[in-house]
Parts: sequence; C-alpha cells; structure tokens
Amino acid sequence: MGIERREFLKTLAVASGSLAGVSSLKASNKTELNPDRFGVLSDLTYCIGCRKCEWACNEANELPNQSLDSFSDTSVFENMRRPTSEKYTVVNSFANKGLDGGALNVKVQCMHCEHPPCVSACIVSALRKHPDGPVTYNASACIGCRYCIIACPFQIPTYEYEKALTPQVRKCTLCLERTIENGQLPACVEICPTEAIVFGRRKDLLELAHERIRKHPDKYIDHVYGEYEVGGTSWMYLSNQPFNEIGFPELDDKSPAELTESIQHGIFKGFSGPIMLFGLLGIIMKVMKKEEENE
Amino acid sequence: MKKLYLLLAAFLFSTTLINGQLVEPNHPKDYTMGNPQMNDYCRTCHICENPTKFNPCLEQCARHGAQFSSTHSFEAGPDIVIIDKLSKLYKPVIFSHELHASMSEMSGGCTLCHHYSEDSGEIPACDKCHKIKPDLVDLNKPSLKGSYHRQCLGCHREWSHENACQFCHEEIGSSDEVVSTYDKTDIVGVPHPLISAEEKYIYQTTYQKAPVVTFHHTDHVDLFGLKCTDCHKGDNCARCHDTAKQEEPKIESMTTCCSCHNENNCDFCHSNQEKPSFNHGVSTGFTLGHYHEDVDCNNCHRSVSNFVTPSTNCTDCHIHWDVGTFDHSIVGLTLNEYHEEEDCEWCHIDRDFRVEPTCDECHDDMSYPEDLPGIRE
Ligand code: SF4
Ligand code: SF4
Ligand code: SF4
Repeated sequence: MGIERREFLKTLAVASGSLAGVSSLKASNKTELNPDRFGVLSDLTYCIGCRKCEWACNEANELPNQSLDSFSDTSVFENMRRPTSEKYTVVNSFANKGLDGGALNVKVQCMHCEHPPCVSACIVSALRKHPDGPVTYNASACIGCRYCIIACPFQIPTYEYEKALTPQVRKCTLCLERTIENGQLPACVEICPTEAIVFGRRKDLLELAHERIRKHPDKYIDHVYGEYEVGGTSWMYLSNQPFNEIGFPELDDKSPAELTESIQHGIFKGFSGPIMLFGLLGIIMKVMKKEEENE
Repeated sequence: MKKLYLLLAAFLFSTTLINGQLVEPNHPKDYTMGNPQMNDYCRTCHICENPTKFNPCLEQCARHGAQFSSTHSFEAGPDIVIIDKLSKLYKPVIFSHELHASMSEMSGGCTLCHHYSEDSGEIPACDKCHKIKPDLVDLNKPSLKGSYHRQCLGCHREWSHENACQFCHEEIGSSDEVVSTYDKTDIVGVPHPLISAEEKYIYQTTYQKAPVVTFHHTDHVDLFGLKCTDCHKGDNCARCHDTAKQEEPKIESMTTCCSCHNENNCDFCHSNQEKPSFNHGVSTGFTLGHYHEDVDCNNCHRSVSNFVTPSTNCTDCHIHWDVGTFDHSIVGLTLNEYHEEEDCEWCHIDRDFRVEPTCDECHDDMSYPEDLPGIRE
C-alpha cells in the first residue's frame, strides 16, 4: 500500500502542478529518449507464420497458454486477429505476392511509439515512455478511463472487461523486465526460428533495414514501416509488399500525440474548472479502486 | 556505427600487419587493381565507394560463395549430418546431406549453403561465424538457429509451403506422440531419385513451314552426355515440387537449343513430321561399329559446344596400331600365318583403312572379299 500511496501522491502532484500551468503537464508526459534506445525490426520476408512468438509471449507474461505444438494450427489465420487482454501478440496471414501460393505473415503487437499517443492521452501517467524504448504501464496508477485505448492508432491496448475487480489495460511490454532489466532478448525474439524479428538499438536496426533494402532492391519495397509513422515507432517492419495491403494503417509522420495534447491543453488553457473536476474525479475513482482492492 | 567501422578497420589493419603484409584477397583473375569502376561484384564485399588496400571497408562475412580448393562431386561430402548444436525445444535434425547436395546440383551447387570459405578453400563449420547466442552488434548476421532455419525454410517454404517444425524435427518431451510427416528411412542418405523423362518430346510449334520439332531427350542425356543443368538452368526444388503450382516447368527452347545448335539451319530441328532419333551412320555416314558405339561423343568430338568432325582413318586416333600391336581378329578376321607379319600397307594401300583392302600388290589372281588372308569369324 505504501508504494501505491507514493505513486498516488506523485500523480496528484503532477495533477496539481497542471493547475498552475499547462506547460508543466506537457513536460511531465515527455520523456527524454536515450539515443541508444532499443527496438525490434520485423522482416516479414523471413517470417514463416509459425506462431512460436505467440506461445513464448504468453509464457513470458504468464498469460493463458496452450502446448507449443498447438500453435502450429494455421486455421486461426482465417480471421484477422488483434491483440487481446490475454494475448499481447498475434500473427496474421496475407497472400504473398512474392511467393507463389505462399503466405506473408505479420506479427502484431504494441509498436512502442517514440511519441506514444496512448501516453499523452493518459491523464495520470500510468502509461509512460521509457527512455530506452518500451512504453510501460503502471497498473496501480491506472484509473481505468481507457483513453489510451481510444488514442492508440494501432488499436493495441485492451481492457480486461472480464475482470470485475482489478481490470487492467494490457499490451506488449517489450519484455522490459527481460531486456532492459536483465539483458535478455524479448521472449518472442528469442524463440523466433528464422530471426525474422531482431532486437537491437533502434538506430542500428534502421541502418540494417536500409542496408537490406539497398542490397536487395528487388526483394523489398523501399519503406521501413515505423521509421517515421506517427513520429517513429520502436517496432519496425520490412516487407516485400505495400504495407497498406497487409493490414498496416496509413499514418502521418506526425505523432497524433501532439494533436491530442494540443486539444487537451487547448481545452484546459485558462480554464481550470474542468481540470479540477477531472482531478477530483480521478481521485474519487482511485480511492474507490483502492477500496475495492482492499475488500 | 562509425566507431564500429573504425574498430573493424583497425582490427583488419592490425591483423594484416601481424601477418606481415596485407592479405591478398580472393579477387577474380580478371580483376584489375585500380579499376575505378566499382561494380556489383565488388560490392558483395566492399561497402564503401573507394576501397583501398589499407581501408578495404569489407562487409563482414560476405556471401561470395565458397571457394572450394578442388571441385568435388556431391558424393564426396558426408552422407548424413546430425544437427544437434541446439536442441532446447526440439530434437536434433537428421539432415540428409547427400540428398540435398545432389539436388543442389540443379541450382547453385554447394555454395547455395556453403556461402563462405577461407582463403585456403576450407569450408568453416556454420557455428564458426553463426554463434549460438545472437550477436547484438552485427545485427545482420543471424545466429546459428536463425541461419539454419532461414537456409532450410528458404527452399522448403518455396515448394512445400510447409513450416511445420515436425517436418525436420520432433518436439522434445511432447505429450502426444508426434507423427513425423516424412519417413526418414526412405530418404536419408539416398541421393535424389532419378528424374524420369520421356524418351522423346514432339512439339507443335508456330513455325508454319515445318511446325514439328522432335526432341529426343534420351539421346541428349545418354548419347550426347549433357548434364541436366546444361538445359535446366537455375531450376530450384519448387520448379518441380511446388505443391501449389500446377504449371509444367518450361524451358526457353530457342535460347536453350540454339546455344548448341547454332548452325542457323531451321530444318535441323523443324520438320513436317516426327524425326527419328539420332543415328550416327545416317547422319554422318560413319556407322558406329561394335567398339565405337559405347565411346563417349567427347572422346572423338571434343566438347559438345566445341564440336569437331574427326578424321575417320583408324590410325589417326589409334596411332600406336601397327604390325605386332594390332590384334587383327578384333575386326572379325584372324590373319593366317602367312599374313600376320606383313606390313599393313601391303593390303591397305597408303594405310587408308576406310577403303577396301586389295590383294593385287602380291596376288594377280586373287581379290577381296572372295579370297581372304585368314579366317572370318
Ligand atoms: S502502439 Fe498504441 S499502445 Fe503502443 S505505444 Fe503506440 S499508441 Fe501506445
Ligand atoms: S516483446 Fe515481450 S511482451 Fe511484447 S510481444 Fe514480444 S514477448 Fe510479448
Ligand atoms: S516466431 Fe518468428 S517466424 Fe514465427 S510467426 Fe513469430 S515472427 Fe514469424
């Protein structure tokens, strides 16, 4: 409880800080990014759609799981899937124009945006951008407003509607505990048999991606998805087929984070009423949640 | 990354200095130092525009293809290779090396997989470069696991559209009995089964004057000694084994046939009816007898692409044949004791063995073949 209270106080401090001025709210949501921050490059031409990454992710994040063998079932490809609160990552399948009768598989998970709209939508800073890349979630700070779910341009975060008492927002963590805290690879990257997904420094990955395009111009389309989309993402993709044909949204280079921020801040500007109401509402929800938890 | 390059350059420089001189790279023979034009070939190894001896800016472990010290046949390699360096989730793979090596002759050869070799021509083991732990610095180099899977699945995906792990290996400690999708006793160590082809193919072409082309496949393989890859260039497994594609593999006939048949004579192949298979006597006027029948074309005609019409006089090839060294009975006539010591030219005027022998050098009243200098067998 002690820690939670501290978190709570911190949030409060941020909220009340915002009363004093808009700029401090803005500053609190911006993370100074480490130039050596991490990311993942997913080369779709190497992905074989084995879904081992799904299994490993479930295993590492203690999500409901089945036997490794059962993941060779490809009937799931009949429908497009999105990550759920019980599955941080899913693999979808599209017809591969470069491989007769073959498939082009796309692993979907949180993109760990460089300027994450979910983070700027979160009024209690439960979601944060870690300087080393991952977008992290702090369940004890979350008030369950689900703004992040609406803000995400990739429809990633999901809410545990099925849990009545302690519902959380769930999404890929970029295996923060394994990677940044313990020097391991993300579970999905570690298991991938063809190393279609590679973990490394974002700038090295970009260099690698462009090097592959340069060397094999017939194989790849000249586009690294995530290099610029929404201001850049940590998880990036290489493909032999245009991204809009394989389920990727066509997005602006500008982060919508700036947009949401300016709208929010525009509303709040010189008008402290709503923000006080908001703050109060937040406090009430928080207290209620604590009580529920303590019950 | 710049730092890395510098480090790499420094490392390369220091190792070369230790060796006392810069390592002479495996440049092709026609490579000329100082050629200002960087071409694609150069770029497989050098990543900057102006490589120099001191700063060659080398690509790490370029895919330049292995340089075998001596070419060898696929049988020279191992029969079976057990890949067991990694076996965390799945059992080791029993890799039928000979089978794959023989199939690789259809495209790319050994270097399809053995993409890099030392200067000595030695092929390093895969794990010499591709380490078990992924390299976090050189992200382009897959670890051992990634390399194996990319290598195998690159082809397997192309033809079988399979990605089931059990195709190559079984899961460790799987609760349910994994049924292997292929019978290992059937395939391991057995070279690629003989590809069956029709003896001849008759094509109806669009050439109106003489639309029929008869292609005698067996003649080309058995008689003319062509290798499959001479015509089926760059074929891969998928070309025949693709489980999704129905189409028959086709060969660019004009370019393929004409690369040997460059006589500029349409009628050589085209006709109005089916052509008989090749008969040496009919086509050349030189009937192949008992002994010549089994001789490789190349023995007399050099290579197929460098075809020459040899002399048909026996001793032009069999230069050592003379009295005492030639057993006359092989032509079906054993000389009697009066004739076996005589010089050849007594009967074979001017030692031309293509024309009928004569008897009148010595015998006024005798003539061949009514009278014989020995016994006909
Ligand atoms: S993909 Fe969505 S959830 Fe992930 S960081 Fe970006 S906005 Fe947030
Ligand atoms: S990085 Fe970790 S949490 Fe994210 S998809 Fe991979 S295994 Fe799952
Ligand atoms: S484990 Fe790798 S190859 Fe398999 S589906 Fe996931 S990304 Fe693709």
